Amino acid sequence: MGIDVLAFATSPRRHGNSETLMDYLLAAMADEGGVEVEKIVLNDVNINPCMGCNACEKLNRCVQEDDFQWVQERIIEADIMVLASPVYCMGLCAQAKALVDRIQVFRSRKYVLHLPVVPEERLGKRLGIFVSTAGQNWDFVFDSTVPSVKCFFHVSEIRDRDISYLMINGVDEMGAVRAHPTARDEALALGHEVIKKLRTLRGEN
Amino acid sequence: MTVTLLAISGSPNRHGNTETLLDAFLEGAGGAGAACEKVVISTLKFRSCTGCNACHKTGACVVRDDFTPLLEKMMEADILVLASPIYSMGITAELKALIDRGQVFWARKFLLKDLDFSKEHIRQHKGVFISTAGQDNDRVFDGAYPVITALFNDCGFEYYANIAINRMDMHGGIRGHPTALGDARKKGEEVVKTVSELRALPESVL
Repeated sequence: MGIDVLAFATSPRRHGNSETLMDYLLAAMADEGGVEVEKIVLNDVNINPCMGCNACEKLNRCVQEDDFQWVQERIIEADIMVLASPVYCMGLCAQAKALVDRIQVFRSRKYVLHLPVVPEERLGKRLGIFVSTAGQNWDFVFDSTVPSVKCFFHVSEIRDRDISYLMINGVDEMGAVRAHPTARDEALALGHEVIKKLRTLRGEN
Repeated sequence: MTVTLLAISGSPNRHGNTETLLDAFLEGAGGAGAACEKVVISTLKFRSCTGCNACHKTGACVVRDDFTPLLEKMMEADILVLASPIYSMGITAELKALIDRGQVFWARKFLLKDLDFSKEHIRQHKGVFISTAGQDNDRVFDGAYPVITALFNDCGFEYYANIAINRMDMHGGIRGHPTALGDARKKGEEVVKTVSELRALPESVL
């Protein structure tokens, strides 16, 4: 069975460190047979912030008619979802946060309306990967991104244990991740590993 | 001299729980004599930081929009209040957009070194974070604090207090909370008094 990978490059800087790191990962995944990768660059689509209107709690849909309407269908379809964001001011960049906040429609579906977000047979067979880079060298620089990332994947029906993290600190200038001693190898290894993991979860190995 | 207070509301939801809590805080602060101004981000036209790093070289942001004068105003206030509900375990994308644009302060402070705050300045300038969250989860604000800390540090404010109230869903909103609005009013009064007192002290004591 084919594997559908949906990846988000949320950094406003094209081909910067977080996107480059994700590209290594996606290349490794695409190397495995039967894997289709779609990368959505947030710069190229129009996804507004959540308006906090809570209409989704009643309507089971978002009232904002922008690109999130088709993007959310792709989120439901994907087998593996990858979210890449640089750390800006100790958190996800605002562009990534706008996407993450729009996932509220799934939270309403799941917890308010008690409706399925993905078909039952696909539960436990969806994986998430968070890819991040930070200029600062602090070990804790990613800490406050993680709760929002878990929230994003959780309401998309990706379990905590099915989330992988690829986070490289100390890379600031454009292209710095290319010069990092282990980043590329870590990304490639993770790419192969998650495809194997999904096949195991599906009972295909 | 009058204490000036700038409050920035990052909720897209006008007059919701967070803004109502902020208004209670402002009532207290205004009552204690501060000149308060409230800016609501959802009424502004703005762009997020584009990550171009031009400010690392020039100390100025190349994006010119409604955030441009707001960022300048933030530096002039004695008390800076940032308000945001918790969405998906963090502050809203709107408030994050403003904070990310604060990169210009970071660049000036740490790279260009033309922005420096004395320890007296920092003691006399207070930052307050006001937030509400629906969830019954004591860790729900944890992702917000480091982001708020980063901004306060970059523009010379001592992180004075959090007014962070969870369980909004359980209380049926902020007005259903037994003590939050009264406590916020008192905190508003208190921070203005604190700053007034600190400003009355000679610099050598600070």
